[in-house]
Amino acid sequence: MDSRVITITSGKGGVGKTTTTANLGTALAMQGKKVAVVDSDIGLRNLDAVLGLENRIVYDIVDVVEGQCRLRQALIKDKRLPELYLLPAAQTRDKNAINSVQMEQLCQQLRREFEFVVIDSPAGIEQGFRNAIVGADEIIIVVNPEMASVRDADRIIGLVEAAGKPEPRLIVNRLRPEMVRRRDMMDVTDVLEVLGVDLLGIVPEDDLIIIATNKGEPVVYDKRSRSGRAFINAAHRIMGDEVPLDEVAEAPTLVERLRRLMGFGPALAERRVRS
Amino acid sequence: MGVFEFISGRKKQAPGQLAKERLKVVLVQDRIKLSPELLELIKADLLTAISRRLEVDEQNVQISMARENRWDRLQADMPIKRQKVSFEWDPPAHTTAANVLRGKVQVEVEREEQEHS
Repeated sequence: MDSRVITITSGKGGVGKTTTTANLGTALAMQGKKVAVVDSDIGLRNLDAVLGLENRIVYDIVDVVEGQCRLRQALIKDKRLPELYLLPAAQTRDKNAINSVQMEQLCQQLRREFEFVVIDSPAGIEQGFRNAIVGADEIIIVVNPEMASVRDADRIIGLVEAAGKPEPRLIVNRLRPEMVRRRDMMDVTDVLEVLGVDLLGIVPEDDLIIIATNKGEPVVYDKRSRSGRAFINAAHRIMGDEVPLDEVAEAPTLVERLRRLMGFGPALAERRVRS
Repeated sequence: MGVFEFISGRKKQAPGQLAKERLKVVLVQDRIKLSPELLELIKADLLTAISRRLEVDEQNVQISMARENRWDRLQADMPIKRQKVSFEWDPPAHTTAANVLRGKVQVEVEREEQEHS
């Protein structure tokens, strides 16, 4: 089977790696692709909960690697989608429980069964991160438009290059269009200018993500949510479809126009649809 | 600029812009470990090279690293002292004026006070 292994990473923690993995994996499966999402954050298992599959875990990634069970036994089938499976992380082990060679072999095994293998990387740049990228064909870096996250993303880009992987692509997550319009937050173009890699998607900050996570139901199921649509667009781009980058483009409201007129926002010339 | 902004005369760098500028500087330092000592050496090398041709105002030379689009850029700002300059010139072959075909060309520049701030 022609298969792609994609690792979602970020360097900094809390920028939305697990949310991105869950939503991209779900969105790809919604398009009829056979998908495995893999939680490689050993000791800090979370992807299962974001997907609402936390009660169904029997075996985990370390059991597979150590030969305690077969791969098929550890894979949890998502009942909502026929083609989506989760390989959960171990919760009671640490991130040195697996080495790079084992991880690469695991990726080869998964390739035989799935069209897409989406790996959720742990935060940091240690062994866990190296394991997460060792078997990957593509790397997606999740970044928030703030200094610490962009700085860490730059470090990750360097490490990905050093590992001989192709240039990673970027998902700018938790963008706040309001703040960007007031020029209180870096814009997507600023982040791209600093990091100099290609953009895969822009996901606006969205309360619905917290609600979705609380329910164990990725936000891509909610067709009205802007973040959900943004993840679906990104998934289409992964599949090679041309989707215009207009995730956060929207007409300013009357209140925003008034504020701007009064001088509490950027001037007219600076107000433009950003892509 | 809106009405209130205009009245109050407020015009500071936007926080978003500030973040980008700060990042550009910090990323260079993260990426290549260029110590201040090494930067001073580079500065001295540049001065030696440039000073052979032009008189540089050494007090106001600024060397810095910045990063854009994954390229690290060395930026050198070297103010030139305005004074009488004299240099040899090889005129291009197509020059027809007989008086510059051979020999040295003297360029006289009136001496002025430093304008660099």
